[in-house]
Amino acid sequence: MSSTIVDSAAEFDVRDYLRKEMMPHFLCPGCGHGIALRALLWAVHELGMDKDKLAVVSGIGCAGRLSAYIDANTFHVTHGRPLAYATGLALARPDLHVVVITGDGDCLAIGGNHLIHACRRNLKLTCLMLNNEVYGMTGGQVSPTTSETRLTTTTPLGNSEPNFDACALAAAAGASFVGREVTHHVPKLKELIRAGLAHPGFAFVEVLSDCTEIFGRKNELGSSAEMVLRQKSELRPSAYRDTVNTPFRSNDLPTGVLSKRDRPEYGAAYRKAAAAQRADAAAKDGARTGKGEF
Amino acid sequence: MNAVDKLPAPGAALRLVSGNHACALGAVAAGCRFFAGYPITPSSEIAERLSRLLPQVGGVFVQMEDEIASIAAVIGASMGGVKALTATSGPGFSLKQENIGYAAGAEVPCVIVNVMRGGPSTGMPTRPSQSDIMQTRWGSHGDYPMIVLAPASVREIYTETVRAFDLAETFRTPVVLLYDQVIAQLTETVEFPDIGDDARAERKWASGPREAYQPYAANEDGIPAMSRPGGGYRVHTTGLTHSESGFPTQNPEAVARNLGRLLTKFERHRDVIDSWQALDCDDADVLIVAIGISARAATRALATARAKGVRLGLFRPVTLWPFPETALRAAAKTARAVLVPEMNAGQLELEVQRILGGKRVYAMHRYDGEPITPADIAARAQALAQETAI
Amino acid sequence: MRDARVEIRIGGTGGQGLILCAKMLADALCAAGRRVAQSQTYEPTSRGGYCNSDLVICDREVDYPLATALDCLVLLDRMAVNPSWPLLRCGSLVIADTRMCPDLPEGDCRVYRLPLSRSAIELGSERVTNIVALGALCEMSEICERKALEQVVRAESPKSFLDLNMDALAEGYRLGIQARAAAKLPA
Repeated sequence: MSSTIVDSAAEFDVRDYLRKEMMPHFLCPGCGHGIALRALLWAVHELGMDKDKLAVVSGIGCAGRLSAYIDANTFHVTHGRPLAYATGLALARPDLHVVVITGDGDCLAIGGNHLIHACRRNLKLTCLMLNNEVYGMTGGQVSPTTSETRLTTTTPLGNSEPNFDACALAAAAGASFVGREVTHHVPKLKELIRAGLAHPGFAFVEVLSDCTEIFGRKNELGSSAEMVLRQKSELRPSAYRDTVNTPFRSNDLPTGVLSKRDRPEYGAAYRKAAAAQRADAAAKDGARTGKGEF
Repeated sequence: MNAVDKLPAPGAALRLVSGNHACALGAVAAGCRFFAGYPITPSSEIAERLSRLLPQVGGVFVQMEDEIASIAAVIGASMGGVKALTATSGPGFSLKQENIGYAAGAEVPCVIVNVMRGGPSTGMPTRPSQSDIMQTRWGSHGDYPMIVLAPASVREIYTETVRAFDLAETFRTPVVLLYDQVIAQLTETVEFPDIGDDARAERKWASGPREAYQPYAANEDGIPAMSRPGGGYRVHTTGLTHSESGFPTQNPEAVARNLGRLLTKFERHRDVIDSWQALDCDDADVLIVAIGISARAATRALATARAKGVRLGLFRPVTLWPFPETALRAAAKTARAVLVPEMNAGQLELEVQRILGGKRVYAMHRYDGEPITPADIAARAQALAQETAI
Repeated sequence: MRDARVEIRIGGTGGQGLILCAKMLADALCAAGRRVAQSQTYEPTSRGGYCNSDLVICDREVDYPLATALDCLVLLDRMAVNPSWPLLRCGSLVIADTRMCPDLPEGDCRVYRLPLSRSAIELGSERVTNIVALGALCEMSEICERKALEQVVRAESPKSFLDLNMDALAEGYRLGIQARAAAKLPA
């Protein structure tokens, strides 16, 4: 079989990593998810990762559909559960590089329990959460990250629930790598994802993406270009803020690598303990013939 | 050290083993190398046992954050090519349903143990029941095929756990191992049979060039070959309705073709899948149909009734779903009445009625957490024999 | 039809070690080549609440593994009396702890009230009541070889309880012998 590793020194061509037979893709014009997908594949390219050893597990929703476009081992699983599926896959196959693509609803609402425990467990996985503040595929309902006062199909009076800061949540739950970036700045996003992929434990990367067709139109946020530009002017932290007005999202969310901790990776720790147990049992087996574990 | 070697050889001395312990031993013997679970009475002993056994054989045990995560991790491990198991009881089994449907639809082999306790809801955690008979078949949404095995003794839990893995791997399907709390926590003297270590079923793996490989091709036997991640095929697996390529489709022809194959994929393999025990059925006036602890009560009832000259027979489906209906029809040939004792409000009874059509089918229900006794069954069956005497 | 089936119940409350001592007896019987089925009924509480452990012993494979008519009943708590009494038959052997089961219903079985828990307390811990009971049961029912039982109790006891358990077992046998002598039971 021909090599499935693209020369990382060669210029990045996204087509090397896409299932071209799946084009055209189904994302709406102006959707930020395509930018995130490109950044992920760019990072994969730069790290020289073998597509054949790359496993992408995704949940349900717009973000969940991205796995189908990647020329890798891809698993489109049930709503909210990609981290749990990925946990089984990564534990059973430590030779694979497992990446999870999930959305804000998939990851923080129906799958919230799996997120906090994946953070705590610290198994080597890269979790890419594409946050567009809305349930796009089901027609635009409020999500755990929808900013306050925003209109959605289920918040006709404006959202009155506070939203999650997903990165703070992941860090508090013990994630050893936490970062956030916007789709406006693709090279920075690629760098962040690359750092997450290279991280030896659980890496949580939140991508602030835009849903222009549903969320943007409902809230009169303008064209896709305007929404993306507003990420720079209104969303990024003080370093990028060159206008003073109401923020696009209610949180003044910081970006970049937000938290990095050196913690034992779960899979390696488990395998090490198991190997020690086997060695111990083998030694004892030679010494005596007592009651076995069975 | 190969821990499987530690399993007793056939003819070895008797051992005292509990049902849940036998399940763990059977899983390891069958080649299971991944377990994910969540504590729940009365199945937790399986997890506890495997947390010690699996690391010995290079496998992985993980206690997940909830029941849904457990079945999800099991399917994830199996998609990675490793034989995987989870074990639970009623409340947990309910939670797992959506993902069991995923495994059925995406055709990912795995084994799910459901130790039945009293329900509904939290019910009676430490008391037996047989009220998940229908849920094991119809629990997830949509149309899908299902294999369910219902062992009735500690020894049979061992052999059926092994068979559950063999069937799951052979037919690319989730298989449920269903038994009640009594059998699960019963400790019995067992002589472990030789399950033939070298003859374990492996799933059909993809071969040949990537371009020619279809992850859901019907093949000659209706069972598509699976690809292992890292093997060069890089396929897509989805819970969406898919074509032979594995990619989503809503094209009616493709859906009918692929779903049609899925729904009938066990039919031409019934000779391998069906399994039952027929006891004294050849001349039975009253046929008893039962599973699990109720079947064992019936076995004793049979002996006492026969001693009195009352001709009772017992049909015990070991493969509960798909129900071995041809065998049941044959077993019921001479029966004037059929009695179905079960620890629920009437489930097995419905399937028996469906299969036996014109026969008189009588039910015996108990759902107070107490098993149906041999004396109860003997009395009712003898009364039926008299009532229906020609 | 009798198939040399013997049924034994040890009844009491959760935490008394009923299941453990039933498993020890089952182990000893299994080592002797007998077919045994050991089951238990318990409530969700780990400590307290009605609990029993049953043994069905047979020379061939046990068909129905649960108790239907008890040959022997050991009662370590009054809670176990009512659920178990209907399972007794004419001539069943009943061993009841004097302290925990002061009142027993009428019945045409052989009832022995033995100071099982008091003896255990005097030996140093009420926790070995189950082992005292096991010794008394085996002496009076003659279901199991004493040597085989001693071997199992020794193997299954944690180090810190080994001496105490062996003393408790011996005390149980002593109580059983005494009771038989008093009742002039045939040896």
